Amino acid sequence: MIQTTADKTVDVFGPDSMLRRFVNDARWGFAVARATVLEAAHPQIGTALIENSTFVTHPWRRLRNTLVSTQRILDTDHRVRNRETARLNRLHARISGTDSQGRHYNAMDAEARAWVIATLFESTVTMCRLSGQSLDRPALERLYAEFRTFLALLEGNSDRLPPTLREFWPYYDDVIEHRLENTEAVHVILYRLFANVPAPPLLRNHPAVWAAGRAVAGPVAAAITIASLPEPFCRRVALPDLPGARALMHGAYLTAGLATRLLPSSWVHVSTFVSLLDPDHADDSGPWQTVRRKAGQAAAMLRLMTPAPDKVSQATRSADQFFAEVLDQTGDGYLAWPDLAAMAREIATRLDLDEQDEERLYTAYAAWWRELQTHLDTGGDGRVTRQEYAASAVSLPSLGLVKIADVLFDVTDLDDDQAIDVQEYQRLFRTAFHRDLTGRADSYSRSAFVREFLSFMSGQQHSTAYNTLLS
Amino acid sequence: MEIISRLPRHVACVMDGNGRWAAQRSLPRTAGHEAAEAAVIDIIEAARSAGIKWLSLYAFSTENWRRPAGEVDILMRLVRRAIRKHAPALHTRGVRCRFLGMSDPRIPPPLVRDIADLTTLTSDNRQMTLTVAFDHGGRRDIVEAARSLIHAAVPAEQVTEATFARHLPYSDTPDVDLVIRTSGEQRISNFMLWQVAYAEWVFPPVLWPDFRATHLWECLEAYRSRQRRFGDVRQSTATTGEAPR
Repeated sequence: MIQTTADKTVDVFGPDSMLRRFVNDARWGFAVARATVLEAAHPQIGTALIENSTFVTHPWRRLRNTLVSTQRILDTDHRVRNRETARLNRLHARISGTDSQGRHYNAMDAEARAWVIATLFESTVTMCRLSGQSLDRPALERLYAEFRTFLALLEGNSDRLPPTLREFWPYYDDVIEHRLENTEAVHVILYRLFANVPAPPLLRNHPAVWAAGRAVAGPVAAAITIASLPEPFCRRVALPDLPGARALMHGAYLTAGLATRLLPSSWVHVSTFVSLLDPDHADDSGPWQTVRRKAGQAAAMLRLMTPAPDKVSQATRSADQFFAEVLDQTGDGYLAWPDLAAMAREIATRLDLDEQDEERLYTAYAAWWRELQTHLDTGGDGRVTRQEYAASAVSLPSLGLVKIADVLFDVTDLDDDQAIDVQEYQRLFRTAFHRDLTGRADSYSRSAFVREFLSFMSGQQHSTAYNTLLS
Repeated sequence: MEIISRLPRHVACVMDGNGRWAAQRSLPRTAGHEAAEAAVIDIIEAARSAGIKWLSLYAFSTENWRRPAGEVDILMRLVRRAIRKHAPALHTRGVRCRFLGMSDPRIPPPLVRDIADLTTLTSDNRQMTLTVAFDHGGRRDIVEAARSLIHAAVPAEQVTEATFARHLPYSDTPDVDLVIRTSGEQRISNFMLWQVAYAEWVFPPVLWPDFRATHLWECLEAYRSRQRRFGDVRQSTATTGEAPR
C-alpha cells in the first residue's frame, strides 16, 4: 500500500494501521528516544536542534506536542491530517539559518526529513526485535509503506525514501556509515538531556524527589539508548560501551514488550503515561486515574509536611528562574530570536492557529524582538543576556509585547465578544479560570489581559496560568 | 444506642466570641483567634468520635474582610499554620476537608495552595466531612447558583428547590440539622443560608475559644430534646436529622 499523495477521502493508513498501533504503544518511547539520537547525528538536523529546539529546556512539553502532532497526522479524518501537516510545514519553514561555524540548515530539507522518517521506521523495527516480537516480511513491508505514506503526507511525495524495503537497508547503512557526524546535539541528548531532564509537571514542586530519581534514571536511560544504537554508529561517534549495558537494554526492552502483551492495552497506552506525568493535561478517565490521584495526594502531603518556605521566595519568582523557564526557551543561556520563535510556535500549536493568525503572532514576536535588540542588546552580539534583560526590560515601551498580547487576545477570543470567558481561557491555558484574574466578573477584558501579559513577561508578576503556557 | 440514633447528621458551628475572649483578658483580638485553634481541633475530634458525619465551621465571612488589615493578615497566617500543623492528623482520622467560598483574590496564594493540598490529600476520606466556610457568604452562594442555572440554560419551569440545590457549591452536602452559635449572639450572619433553612439553632453563652467537647455534647443533648416538625403541625417527633425533601 504505497501511496505517494494524501488520499482525501479514505483512511490512508488503513483501519488496522500498524503505525497507529505503535504510536499509541508506551514502549514506542524507547524507539523515539533512540531515533532522536540518530536524527541529531545528521548534521543539518543536529544544528537545527541546537539552534532552535526547546527539547533540552522543555522536553516534556516537546514530547506532548510531538505526540499530539503524530496522532493528528495519523487521524482518519483527512481534514485533521491536512491541517496538521500544513501547520508543521509552516512551523518548519521558519526554522533555517546558519550556525556559528557557518553551516546552513533548513528544517524543510527533503533529505533530512526523509532521514527522520527512516530513523523512526528503523527504531520501531529494532524496538520490536529487542522486545522479543518478530515482524515477518509482509509486516515489515507494510510498516515501511505506512512510514512512506507518513512522509508523503508531510512532503507531498516520498521520493527521498527508497521505494522498497530491500533498497531501504543499504540506504540506511550508507547514511549511518557516511553521512552522520559526531554532532553537539548527540552529546546534548545523551549526556545533558538525560542527566538534567527537568521534572515532569507532576513533580515540579519536588525538586529533591526528582533529582534523586533522575540521578539513577538519567544514566540508565542513556545507557539503554546507547546500547540499542547500531554498532557502526557507536564506533563513529565514539560512544562508550559499558559492561552490562546491553543486558540492561535487553532487559528493559523485554520488560516493556512483556508489559505490552500482558497488561490491559489501556494501561500501556502512551497517552496514559503522558497524563500520569502531566496531570494538568489529563482527562479524568483511564486506569491510571487512581494512581494519579494517589500521587497527587502524596505530593500534597509532602508539601504540607515540609516547612513552609519564606514569604518572599513564594510570592515572587526569582529573575534567574523566570529567565531560564520562560524567556530562554532553547536553554543556551541567552535570549535570542529562536527563543521568541519557540514561544510563538508553542502558542500557535496550543491554539492550533490557522496561517493568518500564526503570521500575525510571529510578526508581533518579531516586533518585540526588534525592540529588545534595539534597547537591550548593549553587547551588540545579537542576543540578550539575563543581566541585560533584568537591567532594563521593565523600562521598555513594550510595544512589541502589547502587539503579542493583542494577537493572543484576538485568537483566544473565539466568539469575538471582546472578552475572554471561561472556555476560551481554558483553551489557552488548559487550566481552570485563574482566580486572581476574575475578581467578581466571569470574563476577562482586553485591557486586563494585556496588562497581565505585560507584567508577566517583564518578570514583574508571577502567573500560574502563563507558567503552564510558556514554561 | 439512643444517642447515635438521634444524632444530627450535619452540625454547623458559627465560631463567635474570639475578640471578646481576648478583650476579657486584655489581650489583642488576634490572641482570641489564636486560642480558637484548640477549640476547633477539640470539636472536630469530639464530633467525629460522636459519629457526626458532616461538620461545618464558619471560619471567615465575606464581611470579615472589613476588619483591620493587620488582623486579617494574622488570621490568614494562623489558618495556614493550623492547616499545615493538623493536616496529617485530620487525614489519618479519615476526615475529608473542604473549603466553602474561597473566591477573593486577597487570600494569600500560599494559603490557597495549602488549602488545595489539604482538600486533595483528604479527598478520599469518608469518616467525616469537614466543611470550612472561608471567605463565605450564604447570599453569594445563592446568587452563584442562580448564575449557574442561567449558564446551564435550565428552563424556568424546571427550576425547583431540588434542581436549584444542585447548583450550589458542594451540592452533595445535606441540609444542616443543628447550628451552634457560641457567645450567646443570636444572628444568622449570612451563613449557609440555603442549607440552614430547617436547622435547629442553639446559642450557648460560652465564647468560642472556651468551647470544648462537653459543650458540644450539651448542644447535641439540647438538639435531641427538641421536636422537629419541618412546618408540619401533625408530626411532632423525629429528631433523626433526616429532613424531608
